[in-house]
Amino acid sequence: MKIALAGNPNSGKTTLFNAMTGKTEYVGNWAGVTVEKKEAALKRAFTRLKQGGGTGSECGQGVGRSSRGGSRITVTDLPGAYSISPYTGEEAITRDFVMEENPDVIINIVDSGSLERSLFFTTQLLELGIPVVVALNKQDIVRKRGDSIDAEALSGMLKCEVAEITANDGKGLKELVSKAVRASEFGKQEAPEFAGRRENAEAGIKKGTKSSGREAAENSAESEDRARQEYIKKIVAKCYVKNAKTNRITFSDKVDRIVANTYLGLPIFALIMWAVYAFSISGFGGLVSGYINDTLFGAIVPDAVNGFLEGIGVHPLMQALIVDGAIGGVGAVLGFIPLIMVLFFCLALLEDSGYMARVAVIMDRYFKRIGLSGKSVIPMIVGTGCSIPGVMAARTIEDENERKVTTMLTPFVPCGAKLPVIALMAAVFFPGAAWVFPGMYVIAGVLIIIGGLLLKRIFGFEGTSTFIFELPEYKIPSLKHAFRQMFRQAKAFIIKASTIILVMNTLVWFMQTYSWNLKVVEDQSASILASVGGILAPLLLPLGFVGWQMAAPILTGFIAKENVVATFAIILAASDDALHMAGGPLSELFTPVTALSFLVFNLFTPPCFAAIGAMNSELGGKKWLKRAVLFQLGVGYTLAMLVTQIGTLVVYGKFAVGFVPAVIVTVVIAGLVLYLIRRGGRESGRAGVLAGEERAL
Amino acid sequence: MPLFKAKPGYTGHIKAVSGNEKIRKFLFTLGCSEGEEITLISILANNYIISVKESRYAIDGKMAKAIEIA
Repeated sequence: MKIALAGNPNSGKTTLFNAMTGKTEYVGNWAGVTVEKKEAALKRAFTRLKQGGGTGSECGQGVGRSSRGGSRITVTDLPGAYSISPYTGEEAITRDFVMEENPDVIINIVDSGSLERSLFFTTQLLELGIPVVVALNKQDIVRKRGDSIDAEALSGMLKCEVAEITANDGKGLKELVSKAVRASEFGKQEAPEFAGRRENAEAGIKKGTKSSGREAAENSAESEDRARQEYIKKIVAKCYVKNAKTNRITFSDKVDRIVANTYLGLPIFALIMWAVYAFSISGFGGLVSGYINDTLFGAIVPDAVNGFLEGIGVHPLMQALIVDGAIGGVGAVLGFIPLIMVLFFCLALLEDSGYMARVAVIMDRYFKRIGLSGKSVIPMIVGTGCSIPGVMAARTIEDENERKVTTMLTPFVPCGAKLPVIALMAAVFFPGAAWVFPGMYVIAGVLIIIGGLLLKRIFGFEGTSTFIFELPEYKIPSLKHAFRQMFRQAKAFIIKASTIILVMNTLVWFMQTYSWNLKVVEDQSASILASVGGILAPLLLPLGFVGWQMAAPILTGFIAKENVVATFAIILAASDDALHMAGGPLSELFTPVTALSFLVFNLFTPPCFAAIGAMNSELGGKKWLKRAVLFQLGVGYTLAMLVTQIGTLVVYGKFAVGFVPAVIVTVVIAGLVLYLIRRGGRESGRAGVLAGEERAL
Repeated sequence: MPLFKAKPGYTGHIKAVSGNEKIRKFLFTLGCSEGEEITLISILANNYIISVKESRYAIDGKMAKAIEIA
């Protein structure tokens, strides 16, 4: 049996989904957090209830005798939609699922605070013929207003079951599930009757209506929608007891006037983000991470394992593989778990509060300048955790050009996996410096602006965007939710470290220990790794990176960014000093300037392969993916080159290695960009003419 | 007059919504359409915070110009 969860954005579908299935899918207090469908089995606690095994009177007698009783119940979480005709890409996913995948029952989650708006979608769902159960969520908001909803009256008028729930703490869920099971047994749904409703509602929804009848169809769809609104108004008048006006200024509005203030908005945002990162990185999270790196993986674990392996007489090479390859590499990454956990805890609190929607409002006018809108901010904020959901969040943007540009720019925001790289470089080369972390985010911001402007010019995009975004009411963030998100991230991080990073480490260790004819090498420069890295090395010369040791971490970094740290740990394992000590072994490879350059190269060139995969599916094809990857590579490469060459000249008063090739590369890149911009200008001019002709016709 | 010219605190009814079909339809599903009550809560960072059917939305100046109020 299949249960589909559908409803308006930010009505609590994913929260309900998590409560029903025990999953910990990403939730946040803004519209458009979920952008794809997710499926999971209903928790056993509810399945037992379904079979009617002495779980109280609330489940009806028919429940146990289900024809599909033995089969498992799957729950599908869908992206939020305001109506069945999609406005954005993720809404189309919802439409396609409810219309084509034949769920046995739809649970329509309704944000009680916006009952009238929600019922628009509800009445459309009722017309599909699939049994619908309405779940009234967020009633606390209604009560706080001093209003109330008569659920029974609503159920009577909609001719479907209505269950009152609180998705946040799981109240009313058992009743909801038993109502849903009962409804699916019944197997059909009566459509609401109102004057002006077309018998075949799907006619107006299905695309591809030929142009002859299209206008007529659109007209009748519009008049039907009007009739629908009238019908809903009547329902709301009967079942919603309204005591207070909702358009008076609320506490949320007052907070908005400060945090989204024209002048204060941006400084407040910067302050909040700075506080979050300071607490996670140099504060509590950094402290614990430091301990783990220095003491646990720096001394206790390797010493114990060495002692143990020597005790049982393992081959020294095997011992080296385990201690230097596995523990050294993975340990270098695992040490950052506390830092990541604290960061995600803070971000979860912030996301739960409702503040993120306000950030979109504040940033809108800045993003308008580069042809985007405030909506593009959301993918970038999500991208601070991981670029993959960040890139996917771009789906909520309606305009195609804006969506593409946002997809290309989002990976510039340093994700969680890049934090260990920043932390490593900061600790070794800039000990005690507080500017490194904020500096990287500022650079990311600047690159997004420059990148946005460049893309706009190169591809001749016109900023046609309009911005509209729902502002949810503020709420006190749930600690339980934040802890859950924190452990979810920690789990994902540990899984990644113990699978993909461990495998890569073993491979790197093998490649640097052996030569091509599988002999253990005395001198690492004869190893497989050295020869592979040597191929890439000339390309890195203009950046001032000399030698294969620089190339290897860059390559493994594309698999997963944490690998940069792990690979350095293996390559430099010969040294007794821990990797991230100030003036540690890394300082043999870099000057502080080239270290900074290496850091920006790893942060701002294309993201890991998994994120590139996400970009591929969002950009919808190889052509744009190629452009996106080349663009990101160009930006990261150019920036790293400028940092090395200009930085070395300014700081040390001499030319860096590879100065001459760098000048040549700069000239080539500048020429290419100018050529592309001129071509883009011509194209947009042409497009403008075409659009003008079309209007004239 | 367009909503663009209204002062914060203004409450009135929507007379017409112009602009492209897709956006108009989207606004309609939110309840932002002819005859509906609309309140301008505040103007923040060039965005218009409006209250329509118990919900708050931020819309930009361009959209505020497209909403004609009576």
